[in-house]
Amino acid sequence: MEKKRIVVRIEIDTLSDSDGKLIHDKMDRLAMVLSNLHNSGKDLLLVTSGSIALGTKKLNIDINKKDYAEMMAAAAVGQAELIKLYQKYFDQYNQMVAQVLLTSDMMDHSKKENNTKNTFETLLKMGIIPIINENDAVSTADIDLKDNYTLALNVADVAKADIILIKTNEEEKYIIQPRNKLKAIFVNTEQELFCKLLEISNELDDQKSKLYDFPDSIEEFSYANN
Amino acid sequence: MKREDFINIKRVVVKVGTSTLSYKNGRLNFQRMGLLAKTLSALRKMGLQVVLVSSGAIGVGAGRLNLTKKPSTLAFKQALAALGQAQLMKIYQKLFDNYNQWVAQVLLTKDVMTIPERYKNARGTLFKLFEMGIIPIINENDTIATDEIEFGDNDTLSAMVSNLVNADLLILLSDIDGFYSADPKTDKEAKIIRSVTSISPELEKIASGSGSSFGTGGMSTKITAAKIASEHGIDTILALGDQPSIVLDIINGKEIGTHFIADKIKQNSIYHE
Repeated sequence: MEKKRIVVRIEIDTLSDSDGKLIHDKMDRLAMVLSNLHNSGKDLLLVTSGSIALGTKKLNIDINKKDYAEMMAAAAVGQAELIKLYQKYFDQYNQMVAQVLLTSDMMDHSKKENNTKNTFETLLKMGIIPIINENDAVSTADIDLKDNYTLALNVADVAKADIILIKTNEEEKYIIQPRNKLKAIFVNTEQELFCKLLEISNELDDQKSKLYDFPDSIEEFSYANN
Repeated sequence: MKREDFINIKRVVVKVGTSTLSYKNGRLNFQRMGLLAKTLSALRKMGLQVVLVSSGAIGVGAGRLNLTKKPSTLAFKQALAALGQAQLMKIYQKLFDNYNQWVAQVLLTKDVMTIPERYKNARGTLFKLFEMGIIPIINENDTIATDEIEFGDNDTLSAMVSNLVNADLLILLSDIDGFYSADPKTDKEAKIIRSVTSISPELEKIASGSGSSFGTGGMSTKITAAKIASEHGIDTILALGDQPSIVLDIINGKEIGTHFIADKIKQNSIYHE
């Protein structure tokens, strides 16, 4: 069987209510479906945002002030919090995770890219899910762009992923341009995201083609050799 | 018992094997386990007393250590079972918790059926758990089970447990949807048998030639299990476990899988609590 490699990109607001308070059930469900996907035999890399949101909340910082130094400090605090949460929930399903912090310039330096690649490969071989975020303490990309689609696409590139699964909205969908043979699957709601993850887990090893039969509710684009 | 009478039963034993709990690579399928937890919790809410006999410990232990090969020595398997059993129970507890259903772990060895003292103790524990509304999750105690005393597979264990608790029905969930007249993997003429009234030597012969390539069981141990259950007046259903909610359909009397009808009316065991 050909092993599928999947990048899942999560915005932390997927898992938050309006106050930014994390919702236990959603986090738990996310850890369950991702561990399940991993158990089904797929390699999985999780790209997450959320360190700034968690950090500003913990430090009680006004996010509208746009004080970069403060935001980056908040990101450092929030990242620890974020990974603690992921670890706690994944641990319930016996799934080991690792933290990898990257900056967008990793693609500009072949040595950095190679290091990143080796780290991914080794973690995946060890059955660990890398949880990847922008290294906000040294980069302002996340703060400026307020998204990490670029990071997710770079990760997919470096890891040579087959599929990238992104929760996004209608407008932003069009700015996402996957390269090479990467298949991008967009979902609009977390319910769709969970369903999609379960669906991919359930494909039988010998029914690879089933992967391409998606229900109408989920839009799917394939960019061949862009 | 007729299928339409299943709706009136009081006590059911459900056995799941590695093929139901896991993906083909041996790692746990949480979606299925979640559905199993939901289904059995629903049975409890319907007022049934439920026992789950579950394998999977060795596989979970192997997964925890990220082993790529099957363990070879007995001691290694036992160590993995000890490691994996704790993890397995943690996950069951977590999943049953979602439906506010408590579970308990009970590890048994075969001699529970032959040593009166142990029989009495095990029965006492299980009936107390029923009384408390808790679902016992039973596995073989691989740490102390050696070649002579181990069940060999959990199919036989589940039949013995059914006898131990005087169950009304034993449901074996497997990776095959019933008992066939021949091995359906090799024989296109093979037909599913919906109802078996007597487990004849010919039937056992058919069974010995077919079965699942995963787990330790196969069809032969399922027939042995059905036979043990039948001798104690307990009906058995063999059904496909990839959708564990099928248990509800079975209890509702739908014609699913193969029904092994018990030889005689159920009797209470010689040892009374």
